[in-house]
Amino acid sequence: MTPMHPAVPWLVPITVMVAPAYAVEYLAVEQAQTVLFAQANTFVPQIVTLSDQQRDDIKERSGVRQRTATQQMWRAQRDGELLGWLVVDEVIGKHEFITYATAISPTGSVLGVEIMSYRETHGDQIRDASWRAEFVGKTLSDPLRLGKDVPNISGATLSCRNVLDGVKRLLVIHDMVLRDG
Amino acid sequence: MAEVRRMRPLLGTYVEIGAIGAGASVQCAVNEAFSVIEEIHASLSFQDPGSELSRLNKKPGQWVSMSRTGLRALKLALVMGVASGERFNCAVGGQMVRWGTLPDHTGDERIAIGNAQDIEIRAGAARLRRAVLVTLDGIAKGFAVDRAIDMLIRYGVSSGWVNAGGDLRVYGDKRLEVMRREVDGSLQPLGLLHNGAMASSYTGGQGGNDLPGRIAGSATQSTDAGRVVSVIARSAWRADALTKVAAATAANEQSLLVSGLGGTVVTTGLYP
Repeated sequence: MTPMHPAVPWLVPITVMVAPAYAVEYLAVEQAQTVLFAQANTFVPQIVTLSDQQRDDIKERSGVRQRTATQQMWRAQRDGELLGWLVVDEVIGKHEFITYATAISPTGSVLGVEIMSYRETHGDQIRDASWRAEFVGKTLSDPLRLGKDVPNISGATLSCRNVLDGVKRLLVIHDMVLRDG
Repeated sequence: MAEVRRMRPLLGTYVEIGAIGAGASVQCAVNEAFSVIEEIHASLSFQDPGSELSRLNKKPGQWVSMSRTGLRALKLALVMGVASGERFNCAVGGQMVRWGTLPDHTGDERIAIGNAQDIEIRAGAARLRRAVLVTLDGIAKGFAVDRAIDMLIRYGVSSGWVNAGGDLRVYGDKRLEVMRREVDGSLQPLGLLHNGAMASSYTGGQGGNDLPGRIAGSATQSTDAGRVVSVIARSAWRADALTKVAAATAANEQSLLVSGLGGTVVTTGLYP
């Protein structure tokens, strides 16, 4: 049992505020490949092109609209043997824009999902004018730091439903066009 | 020193794990930390009819065997229930099912709101004394964060953090810059967190079902409606649980009560 401790203030106030929009790059494609298919030694790129009819079918079967006519993926192999598919996809939420990678087995089960990049914008909802001033100064002088000084967010929990719906859609695509390898 | 930062969709939200350390074992540690979170989710999920927790809920009056981890979470929930005078209450699944916030797996009529005395624990097993439904949603995310941190430490990661949809903890040299997402979606800078945990919950009854404050679950209604309350503590499960305690407590009594239970309510000058 964790003993009750007297409260200690670990929270140090900061004066330099961060941007109201932020982005985190978690994994590049090669890193996502390594994380999700550690055993693979070859990734063969492939672009699946979907007809209008197929896109309608995807909507029908997954409940999620297929926004694009093409879908980028890689065939993960070890010495020529198919280990599965890595699909890179994007979903858009209320404030979020998320790129994620899904690993799908040859038989169509999800092997893993990793967020590759996460962007969130709150441009019109900043309360404090001085904070906005910091943001402007910071972006002009050092725009690349925007993605590095990324805050961790506490508060009202964001649902990951967008990504889970996206994965559902990718499984339908797998079933329609990739199942036979 | 390498810094690894990864994110996965888990626990119904996005879970980020950061780890700073030397060597290839850092990636491995992060993988294992994610696995621990997945296991805890599978074991403590109310939604999943096959989880350990659902097996316990299915059979009031009977001893149901549970894993060490499951029992540990249950025990923490019960201790916090007693210590907080039932402001934290894990025996409110019946009420949540009536509200439609949680699914009905049993089809039985259950007691809406029970208390910590309705749940009994012995070595390797737990039992419901009355026909309540237990939900551990009030501490599960924080509990999972703590176990993931344990895993990073076990792998020799010198500093790291885990953020499970806003329940977060950081250890080692890392100072984590924290902002809070308010009810209207705006972000509020809170400060730098160092060797500690923070959790936030929505308080007030107007939020959607996915807002965690809804599971405060006490008979006491909060008088402080429509804002986000954050608590810092040494461990994430405690911070998580104490946000529910704060949500079930009048605003002018929150700080004193929460500090008596090992946490600190985060107050900011910017928020009215």
